[in-house]
Amino acid sequence: MMAGRTFGNKLALGFTLTVALTVLMGAASVVTLKLVMDSKDQVIADAAESLRGAERLNTAIENRISDYRGYLLNGSRQYLDMTNADRNIFLDQVGALRNRLTDQAELSLLQEVSAAEAAHAAALAPVIQRRGQLKSLTDVAQLNGSVVGPAREKLERAIDALIERVRANVESARRASSTRATVAIGVIIGLGLLAIGSATLIAVRLSRGLRREVGTAVGHIQSSSAQLEAAAAQQATGGRDQASAMNEITTTISELLITSRQIADNAKRVSQIAEDTASAAQAGDSTIDQTRQSIQQIRAQVDLIVQHMLSLGEKSQQIGGVVDLVSELAEQTNILAINATIEASGAGEWGRRFAVVAEEIRKLADRTAGSAKEIRALIDDVRGAVNTTVMATEIGAKSVDAGSRQFDDATNSFRRIAQLVATTNDATREIELSTKQQTTAVEQVNVAASDTARVTRETEASAVQTRQTASHLSSLSSDLLELVGTGRH
Amino acid sequence: MSPTEARIAAVAERLDELKEEFDSSFTRPARRHDAEHAELLAIHAGGRAYALRLSQTSGVYPDRPVTPLPGPIPALLGVAGFGGAIVPVYDLAALIGHPAPDRPRWLVMAAGTPALAFAFHGLDGHVRVPADTIITESGERPHGSLRGMVPLAGGTRPIVDLRAARAAVHTLTGHLEERSS
Repeated sequence: MMAGRTFGNKLALGFTLTVALTVLMGAASVVTLKLVMDSKDQVIADAAESLRGAERLNTAIENRISDYRGYLLNGSRQYLDMTNADRNIFLDQVGALRNRLTDQAELSLLQEVSAAEAAHAAALAPVIQRRGQLKSLTDVAQLNGSVVGPAREKLERAIDALIERVRANVESARRASSTRATVAIGVIIGLGLLAIGSATLIAVRLSRGLRREVGTAVGHIQSSSAQLEAAAAQQATGGRDQASAMNEITTTISELLITSRQIADNAKRVSQIAEDTASAAQAGDSTIDQTRQSIQQIRAQVDLIVQHMLSLGEKSQQIGGVVDLVSELAEQTNILAINATIEASGAGEWGRRFAVVAEEIRKLADRTAGSAKEIRALIDDVRGAVNTTVMATEIGAKSVDAGSRQFDDATNSFRRIAQLVATTNDATREIELSTKQQTTAVEQVNVAASDTARVTRETEASAVQTRQTASHLSSLSSDLLELVGTGRH
Repeated sequence: MSPTEARIAAVAERLDELKEEFDSSFTRPARRHDAEHAELLAIHAGGRAYALRLSQTSGVYPDRPVTPLPGPIPALLGVAGFGGAIVPVYDLAALIGHPAPDRPRWLVMAAGTPALAFAFHGLDGHVRVPADTIITESGERPHGSLRGMVPLAGGTRPIVDLRAARAAVHTLTGHLEERSS
């Protein structure tokens, strides 16, 4: 039932229970005292009213007897009235008692008293009458009182019996009331004992709970304090290490700051160089265009040379054809000369002369054939040279093409280089700017590192303070454990 | 001086020499065909160099169509037309004994009758040599168609005797041997 409740709740619940029991006990006591008081009041009232009524009966009858006797003595009418009044008082008292009394025995005794009084009155009436007739006091002795005396005694006995009976009833009521008061006292004592027991139980339970829970908590506090102390010690050590590290960091950051400034200067120089390179690249671009135009002109000239060479080859071929014709003519001339010689050899003297001419013709034909052969060889040489030249020129043209392509590649590379140089220039400017920002950031970092070093020293001091506090807290926990009543938990 | 210039100069020099020689030829006394000189034709047949006596020929003809004839003689190339006459053509190299697979271009008509032509592969030229430079065999009866040798430019050449060649043809074809024509 108490699980999961705080100790304050438990304490409040215990006090609530105790207060409730106390209130209950108080209420029961009040009720019981009220009952006892009512009972006593009843007893006292009964005793006062009934016993006094009974006593009043006695008193009234005594007064009547006295007044009667007074009448008898002096015969005064006053006494006669008084004795009559006394009887009326008596009868009124009897009526009042009849209304008050509840006990049957008392009522019967009251009836007996009433009957005895009636008998007494009846016995007294002739006496009174007789007294009225007497004139002298000495005649009083003539009155016969022998009847009145027993009646009176009977009445007195009846009254005494009633009084005794009422007194006995009052006593019994008193005893009953005392018994109820005793029971009430017992009930109150029981409730008190119950409240005390409950309070004791609650106190014991609260004490146990206090001891257990507070002990556990204090034990935790103790162990936590020890851990906190150890942690504070570590923190202090770490703070010292951190402080030294922060000093090193500060030194390194200062060096880094110097390096950053140097980098910024170098980046600025690199940016200047990149700008110079970019301008040189632009100048080189125009040179490249001129060179490309020159290469295109060379290509056109090479094509022209090839065409001319091919034309030269064709012309050489034509010359070769003519030379072949000349050779053929020379050969035919030679043959004709030989045949003329042969013919001349058989024609006598004139034939011999003709043979001389024919020989000259043959010599000319031979020389013509030899010259034609030389021309043929020269033309072959020329054609070979032309072919070689054409091939070399075509190779040159291809080389020019390849060179042009390579030059295009080189141009593209150069332009790419120029673009890259421009990009490099931008990047260098960005680097320069970034380096300046970095320098500023490093300066800020330097300031922050100095602050951090200061904070670290403060943290170290705080850790030392925390360790002392933890130690104090541990001793306080021990004291609290002692206070709770548990040296250990 | 570059080779071209040297060559041009040599040609000019040769031209001058030719002009001078041509002009001087009219001033020299007329030569005669006499016994001190021999007119020769330098030829090639079957890859070998030979010489022919011009006096044993009656004409030289290039590229004359030869109509083949079937027959048992390998040296007989066929027949050709000369001036309206059908003339048998024999391979000179085959007759000498060194046949060549390629067809000869040149024909030479042998002097004498019946008309007979010999084919050879190349004509190197017409030369006139002193008769004493010709080396002739002595004494014994020669064999084959070669008669003597002559030193010419490019080496000494054997001289093919067309009369002996004609005799050899006649022997091959079953004619009686003729000692002379």
